Order: sequence, then C-alpha cells, then structure tokens
Amino acid sequence: MTTKTLYNKTGRYICGASMPAETRQIQTWLSCTKHNKAFVPEDEKAKVESLILDQVKAQTAYPLFYPKAEEPWWQKITAMF
Amino acid sequence: MSRNFTPDKILIDQLLLNDTEAFEELYHRHCYPLYNYCNEKLNSPADARAIVRDIFIGLWEKRQTLPVDFSVSLHLYQEVRKAVVLCVNQKLEENKDLLSIQTQIIPGFAVVNLQQAKQPVRKSSSEIQYINSLTPGRVHKNHWWNYNPTGITTKVIKHMLQRAFNLL
Repeated sequence: MTTKTLYNKTGRYICGASMPAETRQIQTWLSCTKHNKAFVPEDEKAKVESLILDQVKAQTAYPLFYPKAEEPWWQKITAMF
Repeated sequence: MSRNFTPDKILIDQLLLNDTEAFEELYHRHCYPLYNYCNEKLNSPADARAIVRDIFIGLWEKRQTLPVDFSVSLHLYQEVRKAVVLCVNQKLEENKDLLSIQTQIIPGFAVVNLQQAKQPVRKSSSEIQYINSLTPGRVHKNHWWNYNPTGITTKVIKHMLQRAFNLL
C-alpha cells in the first residue's frame, strides 16, 4: 500500500464514504494492539500524565475551579454521620 | 494510578458540579492507556500527547451536556480511534513524517498483521500464575458458588420438591 492509497482510504473513512471492506480493514487495524510487555516505570507514567494534565489546564477554564473551595465546618461534621 | 474506587458514573455526575477532583480521577484512570495506544499506533509521543489532551479537553468542555447513560470508557475508546485515523490522514495531507508512515504504519495494514486482531488474547504462564496468586481460590475451585455450608445437594432439593408435589 502506498501513502496515497492510505490517504484516500482514511479520507473516505473519515467522511463515512468508504467501502465496507475498507472500513473493516481500518477498524481491524485500530483494534490490533500488540501486547507490549515493556515495563514502564511509574514515575515515567506520572511524568507523561502530569505533562498532559498541565496542557489540559492551560487550554481550558479548568484552573478557575481549582483548587476546590473548602467545605464549611458544619458540612464536614454532617458528612461524618 | 487510580486513587479511589468511585465508579466512573458517579465521577461523571460530579463533573456536572465542576468537580476538578473527579475529573482528575477520571484522567488518571484513563490517560496512560490512551497515550500508550496512540503512541503504539502513530509512533509519535508528541501526537499521542496531543490526542489525549484534546480528548480530555473535549470531555471537560462537554461535561454539562453529557447524556444520562454516558459511558466514559466507551466515549474515550471511540474518540481515540477517530483521532488516530484523523491524525494519520492529516499527516498524509501535509506530507509530514512520510517515512515513518511508510515504514511503521503501512505495514500494520498487511493481512498478516491484521489477522492478529482476530486471534484470542492468550496469557503467558507467568501471567496466569500472577492472576492465580492474586486470587488463590481460583486454583482450588473455591468459588463463592461452590460455598455450601448446609451440605444440601441438588439431589436432596429435587427429592424434597418431589415430595412436596406429591403432598399437593
């Protein structure tokens, strides 16, 4: 398959105009996941997560709600019961 | 890493109240698997990060209009698949990373490679041992449905039912 063919195929798939065989091929490719056994350390995972979360915070109004307002003392006590 | 055991549905309900903690919990649950999937498909950590970022931005911005029976995992699954195809298409349109597409993405569309998706997932013996070590009851068939402290068997129940019918 050439890059041009792939471009046409994905273009048709995005527009919803692809043939059933093409749809099946792309969906199978999307479902085909290698079982990656490579061990990724937790700190590396956390680094990636925090990097993306910072970008999410930067691009939304998310920081306006952050940190969450502290609950009043009477709500804390009622939550105990 | 997940920090609590609150179900996704409850966290989604909390999102309506602009609860950032609920959002972060959902984010930490699903972020890395999504990133890993995108990275595996596109062989580009930068693209993978951009896709995951856009998906979570979309989730946060649509939080007020999410349907009642909304499933986060299904939504993320659909969104990530759509985004991966869009990203490949965009790269081809801009003639970007053509070499990596030719060498790493296009071979994935070969029939031999696609057949892997149809094969059942087989766990290695070490994985099976690990699962059994987590749930020791699995090995000895000590399941809850085998728990029978009274000792009543199906044969006894059948006999008792038969007697009851006879009395009627």
